[in-house]
Amino acid sequence: MNNNSQLWTKVINQVRDWARQNSIWAVHFNSGSCNGCDIEILATLTPRYDVERFGIKLQGSPRHADVLIVTGPVTRQARERLIRTYEQMPEPKFVISVGSCSISGGVFEGCYNCVGSVDDVIPVDVYIPGCPPRPEAIIDGIVQLLTELKGGKARKQQRPVTAEEIPA
Amino acid sequence: MNTFTSLFTLLIFPAGLTLMLVGMFYEWIDRKLVARFQNRVGPRWFQPFADTLKLFAKEQIKPAIVNPYLFFGLPIAALAGALTAALYVPLMGLNPASNFPGDLIVTIYLLSLPTMCVGLAGWNTSGRFSLIGATRTLTQLFAYEAPFLLAMLGPALVAGSWQINTINGYAQNHWLIFTQPVGFIVALIGLMGKLELPPFDAPEAETEIVAGALTEYSGRGLAMFKISRSVELIIGLSLVSSFYLGGLNGIPSFLFKSLALLLVMSVLQVLLTRLRIDQTVGLWWRFGAILVLAQLLVMILWKGLAL
Repeated sequence: MNNNSQLWTKVINQVRDWARQNSIWAVHFNSGSCNGCDIEILATLTPRYDVERFGIKLQGSPRHADVLIVTGPVTRQARERLIRTYEQMPEPKFVISVGSCSISGGVFEGCYNCVGSVDDVIPVDVYIPGCPPRPEAIIDGIVQLLTELKGGKARKQQRPVTAEEIPA
Repeated sequence: MNTFTSLFTLLIFPAGLTLMLVGMFYEWIDRKLVARFQNRVGPRWFQPFADTLKLFAKEQIKPAIVNPYLFFGLPIAALAGALTAALYVPLMGLNPASNFPGDLIVTIYLLSLPTMCVGLAGWNTSGRFSLIGATRTLTQLFAYEAPFLLAMLGPALVAGSWQINTINGYAQNHWLIFTQPVGFIVALIGLMGKLELPPFDAPEAETEIVAGALTEYSGRGLAMFKISRSVELIIGLSLVSSFYLGGLNGIPSFLFKSLALLLVMSVLQVLLTRLRIDQTVGLWWRFGAILVLAQLLVMILWKGLAL
């Protein structure tokens, strides 16, 4: 009986992981970028690269999304909104930070109006460097996320982040 | 044995599970056709299945201010309405699971139940975007519902019956697309309005109002609304092709006629851009309703003179 239920759990987990790997809905958030990375993300979604063949779709609402794609350094104004958008997404959720500025602050490092990089504010799963990264690099980053998902990352519940925990 | 047969008909084939799977498959065909017309490769064949499974495995967030009974009940009601409508329609070209005189009216009203549920869901979650989306959904419902019903009335009038099965039988000897072309066009475009496909996708316009009435839905609720949409697609295609395209009398004729209709619908989706909500209402009431009414009048006069 116990053995049987274990097998059943394993099958269900495999089906669930397969579905998660093959259907990635993304929401795009600009936290203070110069729009260079945003244009590259839009180029990734155009017919030339056509990411719909991997099941990747841009969604309007964070409630429908699995992946948050963040571009740019986090400004003081965007910080609250970024946390809110992240909190609005249902579990399991992942964050991809696109571009040099979102990884380290880039040329905006130390600016009076910037908090810093994206992972100072919310937990990030995949970093895509470049100023701006080419669409191929963005697709490669998504493939890295898929490899992580294949390792069963989605099954572990991620620690929720609350606004109070985050240093201003 | 009889109970077993009816349960099998209700839950597995042709209604129930098979209907949902075929609906998702047709959704894939639609997405793939649109992608090919846009010079893209398009999604893989299992894409809608993967989307649905993933949504069922996701967390469902309940906003703080909603009424929980409505929030969790509406997706179920939408799916139940769409699946009940399937009972009276010659799905896959087979005989309907049940029929009685007047089931055409019941089917058409059950088909608008998912739309009503989406409208109520948007009102219940009371976000800005979902409120605007709900208003637009219900406005569009009032725009296309009467012309669509009138377009379905034409074949019923000629066949002299309100029973879908009888009209289907009549239509097998008469290709009504040639005798009632206006009705066919209005029914096809009404179906596109019902499914909120472009150019009638103002209620869920991503670029303006995020995701319309379903903005706050995640996980299971969203999945159920999506499944009810694909079930509606199959039922609508079966209705229009059985009334206007020479009836349905088997699985091959169902596949051939519904896929031909789907091809026309995806070409229209790619060709046309989104209408504003006032343009949608104007299109239906200024042209659709009046043209169908004129055709009905001609038919009634013809019938009266011939008798």
